[in-house]
Amino acid sequence: MSTPQHRTPQQRPSGPLYERVQASQEFRALRRRLRRFVFPMSALFLAWYVAYVLVACYAQPFMATKLAGNFTVGLVLGLLQFASTFVMTTLYVRFAGRSIDPAASAIRDQLRYAP
Amino acid sequence: MTTAGLIVIAAMVFAAIASAVIGAYGVRARRSTSDFVVAARTVRPVANAAAISGEYLSAASFLGVAGLILRDGVDALWYPVGFAAGYLALVFFVVAPLRRSGAYAVPDFAEARLHSPMLRRLCTAVVVIIGWLYLLPQLQGAGLTLTTATGLPYWLGAVAAAVVVVGTVLIGGMRSVTFVQAFQYWLKFSALAIPTVVALVYFFGDHRTFNHPAPPTLTHQTTVWIHTGVTLQVTRPITLTATGRVDGVQASGTTLRWNPGLHSVADGAVLEFPAGTTTPVVEGAPADDATWLLPNASGDPYSLLGIYSLLLATFLGTMGLPHVLVRFYTNPDGRAARRTAVFVLALIGIFYLAVTAVGALSRLYTPQLLISGETDAAVLLLPQAVLGSGPLGVGLGAVVAAGAWATFLATSSGLVVSVAGVLAADVFSSRRTGAFRMATVIGGAVPLVLSLLVTRMEFGEAVALVFAMAASTFCPLLVLGIWWRGLTAAGAAAGVAVGGVLAGGAIGLSLAGITQPGWIGVLMLRPALVSVPAAALTMLVVSLFTASSRPAGVDQLLLRLHAPERLGLSRDRPAERLRGPAA
Repeated sequence: MSTPQHRTPQQRPSGPLYERVQASQEFRALRRRLRRFVFPMSALFLAWYVAYVLVACYAQPFMATKLAGNFTVGLVLGLLQFASTFVMTTLYVRFAGRSIDPAASAIRDQLRYAP
Repeated sequence: MTTAGLIVIAAMVFAAIASAVIGAYGVRARRSTSDFVVAARTVRPVANAAAISGEYLSAASFLGVAGLILRDGVDALWYPVGFAAGYLALVFFVVAPLRRSGAYAVPDFAEARLHSPMLRRLCTAVVVIIGWLYLLPQLQGAGLTLTTATGLPYWLGAVAAAVVVVGTVLIGGMRSVTFVQAFQYWLKFSALAIPTVVALVYFFGDHRTFNHPAPPTLTHQTTVWIHTGVTLQVTRPITLTATGRVDGVQASGTTLRWNPGLHSVADGAVLEFPAGTTTPVVEGAPADDATWLLPNASGDPYSLLGIYSLLLATFLGTMGLPHVLVRFYTNPDGRAARRTAVFVLALIGIFYLAVTAVGALSRLYTPQLLISGETDAAVLLLPQAVLGSGPLGVGLGAVVAAGAWATFLATSSGLVVSVAGVLAADVFSSRRTGAFRMATVIGGAVPLVLSLLVTRMEFGEAVALVFAMAASTFCPLLVLGIWWRGLTAAGAAAGVAVGGVLAGGAIGLSLAGITQPGWIGVLMLRPALVSVPAAALTMLVVSLFTASSRPAGVDQLLLRLHAPERLGLSRDRPAERLRGPAA
């Protein structure tokens, strides 16, 4: 690992700032908030996948139900898998933009002006 | 060669020249080696998203998915769904922390996190293997496109693609590659979308439906060349004229009558079917429209195993693809990286919808591919099948061929850049641009030789195997490295080795054409369900046994990975390791 050339005090990989950040209540809350979003979201997503495959394999008459023309329930649910991937990413980006970034800025400002 | 063939070649040459010109234009913006490799993070989210999508959507997506949908129907939706979903796992678990680590390739991350040169070399080897395996179907796709569209020899297409890719990377580097790939995304998207829309218009004016109780029928007299031997499944009695070895008997222009059942045709045979024939289909593929539209219609007891294994590979494998990871580094900050990811998913989603529509339409318009088994050619043949061989059909056919070329060129250049980057740094141990150039040539030459030697698998299957390799090696390393402080260098190396050997063994057997019945056969084609947990468990257990060798300062490192950029903790060091004397 080579050494970075322009180090400012805030960027030093160790030192008082790091310890203060790690110890701060706000930072812990921030990390909890992120994990509380990412892990359940992934679990939900995987469950939706696993469930679709199970239904596809064991509830074929249901999947073969025709909704309109050639569009069966199975086909529509399959295409919805794309939509759900996109929706979840959008949710995550909005969550990060609204909830994580401002909180991170607040912590930084607080630390920077702390005595 | 026919006029149509010449037009197709002109379109392909246009795609290659346009890429090279955009690449050369980008050269002027280049200042140093680090710009060369990560584009100095000055690329805007939409352009970067188009570049990521351009790189990600490979031969498997452009040709392979449509081919699998033509043959397998709804069951093939798993491939595009998994390819898209892999992005979600990448964005949730890896992108932001990896960006903050300052590592833009897995070997860099492994070294920064675990300080082990041995692990670094192991990761380099895996990057090179993944890159080369992924390049294989791209070059083979170039060969297939050229020979399908013009009748020129297969090897010429693969050689031409390799030469263009290595040349573009040599003159351009990553910054220009970004614009080249953004251009190539739009080119390949248009190449797919325009014929799809036109074909859909014809479809709705044609009163054709997917409601046939029987397999699709051939609308006019059709001659099918069998390049690799197949077993065909016949549901209604048909007559045909055959030359070559059919059902074990040599025929020479003989008229045959096939009763329902299985019929084997050896390679080199030519079959001629009269108009109105009910299409025989490759053994194992759903024959009539109802089963084609029904998930898991075959009732194969192991299909559930196969589907889960495939989903696991695609879901977890995306994060281990070297050319995808490095891309997120070309964003100015983490926020832009996240916005990029949303654009990427939108672009990929639209693309896959178009591919799915092409696959479905080709069942009506090019059912002869179900006989030869060369379903990968569906996208290439659809325009002329729908529109005839008039100017419109030939023109759109040329557009599709150009788009297919853009696909191979885009993915291949990203892969060659990634492979050359790690080769230059770790094998030549040099940070000079000269070493990068030499590595680029080697990075392109090896897969070219391989692509001409090994038998061609279906692109979708071939790429799924590479995803399994990435999921079995780099996914556990990245996820545990980012989220678990207990990981040790010995544990990581053991896990990567176990996953690599299991997945690599399956890939080797598949490439050698060895198949097995039952669940073993399913796992040989889709090893992820076994190899991923095995790799992750090995990593966990060995790490726990070697807990005394946990790297010092791991707490601070993990804090840096997880603290948002706005805290100002992360060091911004784009491609520092490649920053040598200015190029």
